[in-house]
Amino acid sequence: MCGEMENTEWNFRPVSMSDDTDSTAASCYLDEKTFRLSCGLFLEHSSFLNDGWAWEEVNGSEKEGYMKKTVMVPCRISSTPCQSNQSRLVDGDDALLEEEQLCDQDEAVGEPTAAEGQAAVRYEYHVLYSCSYQIPVLYFRASTLEGRSLSLEEVWNNVHPNYQQRLLQGPWDTITQQEHPLLGQPFFMLHPCRTEEFMRPALETARAERKGVNYILTWLSVVGPVVGLDVPLSYALAVGPPAPKAEATTAASTASASASTSGPD
Amino acid sequence: MLANSFLNSEKDPDFRMADGSTVKGPGTQKLQFAPFCSALEAGFWHQLTQKKLNDYRLDESPKSIKGYYYNGDPDGLPTRLTLEFSAFEVDGPTPVRCCPATGILYNTNTLEAFRSIDKKALLDTEASEIWEAIQSNAALQNPSILNKFILLTFADLKKYHFYYWFCFPALGFSEGIQIIQEPVLLSQKFSPKQISALQGAYDGLCTTNNTTAVPYFLIKYTEEDVTAAPLQEWEAFFTDLKTVTVGVYDPCTLPQHPGWPLRNLLILIASKWGAQVDLVEVLCYRDRTLQGTRSVQHSIIFQVKLPDLSASTGCPKSVGWEKNQKGAMGPRSVNLSECMDPKRLAESSVDLNLKLMRWRLVPTLDLDKVISTKCLLLGAGTLGCNVARCLMGWGVRHITFVDNAKISYSNPVRQPLYEFDDCLSGGKSKAFAAVERLRKIFPGVQNAEGFNMSIPMPGHPVNFSEETLGQAQRDVEQLETLIAAHDVVFLLMDTRESRWLPTVLAGSQRKLVVNAALGFDTFVVMRHGMKRPPGESAESSPSSSTGTSSSSSSTPGPATLPAASLFSNIPGHRLGCYFCNDVVAPGDSTRDRTLDQQCTVSRPGLAMIAGALAVEMMVSILQHAEGGYAVASSSDDRMNEPPTSLGLVPHQIRGFLARFDNVLPASLAFDKCTACSTIVLEHYEREGFPFLSQVFNSSHSFLEDLTGLTLLHQETQAAEIWDMSDDESI
Repeated sequence: MCGEMENTEWNFRPVSMSDDTDSTAASCYLDEKTFRLSCGLFLEHSSFLNDGWAWEEVNGSEKEGYMKKTVMVPCRISSTPCQSNQSRLVDGDDALLEEEQLCDQDEAVGEPTAAEGQAAVRYEYHVLYSCSYQIPVLYFRASTLEGRSLSLEEVWNNVHPNYQQRLLQGPWDTITQQEHPLLGQPFFMLHPCRTEEFMRPALETARAERKGVNYILTWLSVVGPVVGLDVPLSYALAVGPPAPKAEATTAASTASASASTSGPD
Repeated sequence: MLANSFLNSEKDPDFRMADGSTVKGPGTQKLQFAPFCSALEAGFWHQLTQKKLNDYRLDESPKSIKGYYYNGDPDGLPTRLTLEFSAFEVDGPTPVRCCPATGILYNTNTLEAFRSIDKKALLDTEASEIWEAIQSNAALQNPSILNKFILLTFADLKKYHFYYWFCFPALGFSEGIQIIQEPVLLSQKFSPKQISALQGAYDGLCTTNNTTAVPYFLIKYTEEDVTAAPLQEWEAFFTDLKTVTVGVYDPCTLPQHPGWPLRNLLILIASKWGAQVDLVEVLCYRDRTLQGTRSVQHSIIFQVKLPDLSASTGCPKSVGWEKNQKGAMGPRSVNLSECMDPKRLAESSVDLNLKLMRWRLVPTLDLDKVISTKCLLLGAGTLGCNVARCLMGWGVRHITFVDNAKISYSNPVRQPLYEFDDCLSGGKSKAFAAVERLRKIFPGVQNAEGFNMSIPMPGHPVNFSEETLGQAQRDVEQLETLIAAHDVVFLLMDTRESRWLPTVLAGSQRKLVVNAALGFDTFVVMRHGMKRPPGESAESSPSSSTGTSSSSSSTPGPATLPAASLFSNIPGHRLGCYFCNDVVAPGDSTRDRTLDQQCTVSRPGLAMIAGALAVEMMVSILQHAEGGYAVASSSDDRMNEPPTSLGLVPHQIRGFLARFDNVLPASLAFDKCTACSTIVLEHYEREGFPFLSQVFNSSHSFLEDLTGLTLLHQETQAAEIWDMSDDESI
């Protein structure tokens, strides 16, 4: 993840430098500890809601991990790429492997009815901490039930036409393919270069209103819907920022001010 | 309401007819189950590949694996049994609120073994194990035994093609199961109070068992209360056996059918208590959360009458092999080369990285035009290596090298495609070694080719023998063919005269030529003027201007281009070539020179700078609608609206490293040019090789006489005019 896009990073960095000198401006950055704590609070509510988020440790180590959610989306066989020919036929000699003698599923629901129309695409969302950008990054991939990953074009084709128009102007153009830094598998990533654009106003508003903000929640509720990930409204009421003592890097005075008005309950 | 519409859609006439049991009212209908649909995560295939390569190797013996299923899906999703990368850790955790299913993996070494393995026998073995577990009560203690599966795989790891076939063994009643009360939604049968009590009872059971999902459970309910118990407490829990209610964690979402896991449970009940039990009420427990709201009221509930199996000793018949995507009894297959083949991954990453430029910074960038450009690199030395690397950076796939030199010890430090080992035993041929390295750096460069050949040069005679003459002719033909097969020709050689032949050939073929040449701390990168295609009426060549060395050239250009002056707004077809500024023809520049004059002695950074600029200039030219015919941008245009999405399209970039400065001069084609003037091109096109060999074999006076340079020399000397006017500075 690190160092891939010096160019963008460079555009992004100068803002942070000015942040360091101007203590009144809200910082768009997040240290890893706060990331973990914010995720923890988010996960707590998710498990309360049964919303499907979980913390995945990598190689069983406490140190590395990410927040993950899998969502299945039904799709029609005929109209979608999830069952396209290239995905299932590898040689075209499948027919040779068929065995009629096994055909006696008397009590099964007639497969044509049950299986036709009942294909699905699996969307997998990962929230990772990026050390180089010092912010959370959303990775995702979509795959068929056979395990084949969809190309970005196929993912795009699965987006409802009503949304396509809007997304073209929005942050869809920041989606890029990257190797998952922890799994080493190809994933799509919402590039962090636009994060500051929407986090700064949100954080500044919250600061002005002396409200505590859970960075993960605010961020995810903006970037999630872009790639079909919903964040139920009840998170906003239930999930606050980590307790002030945990915010090691925040100036003590401002942290306590923001936390005293609204803490996690 | 939603439920009703689903019920209706389920009464699909085709379905009923295919089944043979049309609507005859309750009591005669047989219960049908929605089979599992296998669902594999990419991670599973990655892990299987690792296991096959590192652990299993040729071992075909059965391996334990693990999958899971979930009862919280929204409507419309198929009933799935999912295997992910963790499938190989049988003792690992099951995802929250999911039920585990254990399986046996048979990974064969060949497609033939996959084909010939006896599927019926595999199924029978598993089925009798389930039957044994029922008889021995082991299934009561550990009901997940009822949900076993078999997975047959063959992994073609050369192509990243995977063949697989799942089996979900289910024992069956030969006469089917009679429905007594048709399935209804739980909300139609239970009051809200009962539903919430049921939820509480189920959650309590999970807590007691220290899990988050229970596959099978027993239920008793009254108007006021609902209680639940684990399967093994059957005898103690049910006092009245006339009608019992069992709960099954149901992964199906169909409103009329239970999922597969119920099948073996009903066999168990019929075998254990078939003699006593009259009616079985089945709750297909479905528990989902949508937008943060939990719901179980869409669970379905129905009553069936089970045949009595308590007396039977033999294992009932079994089914379970999954149909493929075509609905036939056959394996499924998936091609994962796109996400697993490292070469494919490298290619898509390179392309996606380039697309980033378009997405974020230059939306109108035409990348395909760049990527599909065929580039001929004449010279695989310092400049050639750097140009090639930069072309790869732009995703160019078609790169051809021409060079006749071998790699020497001094090369690798400046020529980034070579290493020390390439210099040993006399050194590898540069053209071949460069191609080899390109493929190593990026296998996506499929069309890389090297030609170890010399380029005949003016003043370097080729007429020593028939053989040398023949060789020169073949070299010329080869070069003509190569230039014809490419879109852009890069001149990256270390001598001036070796650039003459390709300048003539490419000029005649109207190919874009990008030329880079180095001094000690100065360089020039330029595109050659591209003459109009032969068919088009050539506008009168600027014969009035006699080149940069003459003061008479300050007269304005032809009337057709009022805005064009000598140095600005020069269209591509009137731009000069590398030789246009010369008043002497190219000759043998290495003769009578000391070693340091023969070699390219330049500051090491210069070739990288010039090589990169040459490629970037090509890319900018390609982005211009008129390509090589684009009007030349000059230093004065730096403040104006750029002609392409990437900026200016200059004629020349002249760099001065001592001052860290570049200028962008543009100059007109010279009508007495020894390479690109009409008279030279016409002679070449008319006479071909005989004309060229005359140039190679003669001294420079031949070309000078032909183009009129000799005459010009005599005139200028006679007049002794050397008035370099002040305004002629760059």
